[in-house]
Parts: sequence; C-alpha cells; structure tokens
Amino acid sequence: MINKSKISSRVALLFRKHTEFSALTGLIIIFIMFCFIATRFLTAESIAGILSVSSELGIVAAGVTFLMITGEFDLSVGSTFALSAMIFAITANAGFPLWAGFLLSLSVASFLGLINGFITTKFGIPSFITTLGTMMFWRGMILAITGGFGVRYWGTSSFLFVLNGIFFKGFRISSLWFFAVIFSLNLILTKTPYGNTTYATGGDEEAARVLGISVNRVKITNFIISATLAGLSGCIQFARFRSIDPTRGTGLELEAIAAVVVGGTLMSGGYGNLVGTLFGVLLMGMVRSGLIMAGAPAYWYQAFIGIILISAVIINVKLKRWAVK
Amino acid sequence: MKKDDFLVKMVGISKRFGTVQALKNVDFTVKHQEVIGLVGDNGAGKSTLIKILTGVYPPDKGEIYFEGKKECIDSPKKARDMGIETVYQHLALIDLMSISRNFFLGRELTRIIVGLFNFLDKKKIDEISERALENVGIKVRDVNEEVSVLSGGERQAVAIGRAIFFGVKLLVLDEPTAALSIKESQKVLDYVTGAKERGLSVIFITHNIYHVYSVADRFIILEHGVKIGDSEKSKVSSEKIIEVIRTGKELS
Repeated sequence: MINKSKISSRVALLFRKHTEFSALTGLIIIFIMFCFIATRFLTAESIAGILSVSSELGIVAAGVTFLMITGEFDLSVGSTFALSAMIFAITANAGFPLWAGFLLSLSVASFLGLINGFITTKFGIPSFITTLGTMMFWRGMILAITGGFGVRYWGTSSFLFVLNGIFFKGFRISSLWFFAVIFSLNLILTKTPYGNTTYATGGDEEAARVLGISVNRVKITNFIISATLAGLSGCIQFARFRSIDPTRGTGLELEAIAAVVVGGTLMSGGYGNLVGTLFGVLLMGMVRSGLIMAGAPAYWYQAFIGIILISAVIINVKLKRWAVK
Repeated sequence: MKKDDFLVKMVGISKRFGTVQALKNVDFTVKHQEVIGLVGDNGAGKSTLIKILTGVYPPDKGEIYFEGKKECIDSPKKARDMGIETVYQHLALIDLMSISRNFFLGRELTRIIVGLFNFLDKKKIDEISERALENVGIKVRDVNEEVSVLSGGERQAVAIGRAIFFGVKLLVLDEPTAALSIKESQKVLDYVTGAKERGLSVIFITHNIYHVYSVADRFIILEHGVKIGDSEKSKVSSEKIIEVIRTGKELS
C-alpha cells in the first residue's frame, strides 16, 4: 500500500519535472498522421527540409525559452534576427572577411539584448513593453537604412558552409547548430548553479533577491543570450538564402513563443525546459512541411498552429493540475 | 583582543521611506547565544530594522557592528556570507523548484567536470539537504519534490531547517508562527531552543507575545520606529509587555 502510493507520487513527480511529455506525444501523433496523408513525407529530403526550417526557428526559440523561464519576454527577436543578417550581408558585400562580419553581427545582436535588459530592469517596466518598443524601433531602423530594398550576396565562401551548408542528402549544418544550442542551454539550465539562479529568478523574484541572487544581472544576461541567438539564427538563414530583405523575421517572435509554450514552458516563468522547446519546434516544422506535402494551401499552416497551440496549453495545464494533486 | 560581548550591535539606526519615518535613532543589540524577542504592533518598524541588518535596505543613518567589527551590510548575500540567516514571513522558497534545490539556492554545491565547468553536485545536494532536514526533525517524502506540494507547516520547517543549517551565527525569524497550527508553532519554538543550544543567537519577531515569551532571553519593544523597551525576561512579565505595546508608553 505504502509502496503503491510511493510509486504514484513518483510518476506524478516525473510528469511535473518533464514538461515535454505532451509535446512529444503531439509530435508522434502528427508524425504518424502525416505519414498516412502526405506522400513522400517519410523521405530523407522531407525530413531534411523539416529540420532546416525548424533549426532556424529553434535557435531563436531556445533563447526565448531561457528568457521566458527567467520570467521575461523578448518580442524583438524578429527584428534582431533581421538586423544581424543585414549587417552580415552588408559587411560581406563591402569586402570584409565573413567571419568578421559574423562576429560583428553577433556583437550587435548581444548589444540589442543588453539594451532590452537594461531598460527592463533599470526602469522596472514589463519586458513585453520594452521589447515591443525595440521590436518596432529596430524594424523601422532597418527599413530606413535599406530604403526597403533587400541585400544579396553574390560571393562564395566556405564560411557560409560552416553556418548552413548541406552536409548530407539535403541535411544542413543549421540542424547541428540547433542541437548544439539546445544541448548546451539545457545543460546550463538543469545542471549548473546559473540554471538554478535562472529558475529562481523566474519562479519568485523577491525570494531570489533575499537569498542573495542578483536578479537584475541574471535577467540582463538572459536578454543577451536570447538576442545573440536571434542574431545567430539570422546569419544562419542568410547563409541559406544568400539574401536578406528588410521584412525578414516578421512574426518570428510569436512563432517562437508558440513553440516554447507548446513545449510546456510556463509564460509566467520559473518552469520549463529546452527539450520541450525542441519538440515544440519540430512539431511546428513538421506541420508546415506536412500540410504542403499533403497538398493543402500554405495558409492552413497558421490556422493549424493556432489550434495546436491552444490544445497543447490546455493539455499541459490539465496534466500539471493532475500531477500536483 | 577581547571578544566583544555582543554578536550584533546596531547604533543610532534611522530609516525613512518617503514621508514615513520607519525607524528613528534605534539602538539594538544581540549577545552571543541569546534569543531576542523583537516585538511591537503593526508598522512599529520591526521588519525594517531586520531588513537593514540582513542587507535588504541600507540605513539612512547609524552603524552596524558584527562580532565587534564595523560592517557595511550592503546586500543579502553579504549578510548570508557573514553568517546571518533569515526566515522571512513569505519564507523565500521558490514554489516551482525542488526542496533540495531550494535548500542550496544561492550557495550551490558544485563539482568541476571536464576541468572547466562548475556543475551542480546533485547527489550531495540531495543527501545533505535530506540529512539536514532530518536533523531538525523534518521528514519529507522526497527532496526532489517541488516545494509547492508541501503544507504550510512543512514549508516553514524547510525554510527554518535551511536557515539553521547555514545560520552559523545568527538566525532571524520574521513572524515564523503567524500562519501555523498550535502543534506546528510548538515545533518552531523547539527549533529556536535547539538553535540556541547549538550556540546560535536568534532574533524572533512576532505579534504573539506568549509564543516568544517561552523562548526569549530578552525583549526589545518598538513603537512607531522608536525603541520603547529593552528588558531581560526576568524583569518583565508577558502581561507587562503586552501593556507596553498596547499603550505605547515606554517601559520603565
């Protein structure tokens, strides 16, 4: 009897700790569904295509997850994404070595994160507002600087291969970047003191503060992580298209938030992980490719994601309530 | 050098929040291995005084001596590093985190892996927190469970267990019995006596004079930010303390 209650409490604990269960279940169900309704869904090319799209979204979503666990939002990731890619493209065309342009882009991106973090913590305003403002501001700056025209890079460089080359049957290096980002951020989050600090800051800021944690420093650092990853993703996508237009990445922030939330991370902070985000991102990439391959018009993607988002959150909330009982 | 009689000596502490004078020229001392009952009505300045001692607020005026040395306690981390542990009214536990992670929050045990990175030593964290909680008489089902599954009394116990484990010199309890049942309150009082026996000093802030009267050695009474009483237990009855708080007239 005691044993049995101990086992059930163990199972409940497992569910509470692993927020990614429902996203994984959804991923499997949708995968099986598309295997039946979409011809050629289960081919190497198709899987590679899903991974390419998912990886670029996923690198952004990984940073957004980290920040959301800290209890903050970054709506400016789409603008940061575009600005970094733009700087990368312009410096490449100006004849800079590509690695130097890449490092410059990432530095600018991290600086944008620093600004977001600084404004949010210094003035104590919601990051939703801060980053809504910087999202509009930087998008406006990009449009103003480029006059609305895109930038194309005609040169060739092995550095572009490092960022996003095809290494095997349509599989791109971006997926390796994606997995590396997920793996290292998850390691930091779950296995290091800094991860503990991040959870605590998002879980109960006041309690974290009296326990001696410098919550503002944690927040600013995580704003920087989120922005830098958005910049990285911008450069990676540029390496795929060799071009960038000023509206690129519009709506990316909401897609990233959707993926993170589907992955089980709480919008209120303090709870979630990156494995969930990995599944959430793959789920969205799969729906995007699968619908097209099943012959549905592309608009159905958004509608479908909307339904998935709401169902996933309902399931997560129910699951959590059950597990806490 | 002669060891100072006082573990804590706060001299002439003043603090103002906007138009409110929260503390006015307050002197406050704690001796070694002494339990202080810090009492007074709502808004008397008890919590403010403690938050100055624990580094949450800086004082506008006044000096703090710890073990005879003048200290500038400018952050909660500094206070914890000096050996002052506080159990706040709201307990400072993160609901969504596990008991063991809460236990070591802000002072995580780590081990170096690959010669480079500091990783949490999860096994040690779990073992030590479980043992430390058992030592103060708290049995939890599993230290990996989140704090949110615990009852009010259990949470209080974890917060106090953590403070006793780390509170090498001074333990500060802010209204520790306010939300507890009679049985649970008695347990908290036992922890206080236990902590004193181990050589700790304790500051016990409360409304409940009867609770604190049974364990305290000395009482300090605040009223509107001013100290109106400072007396050994032997020289004052619990009824007298309540009367002083009620009337706000200085203890003679």
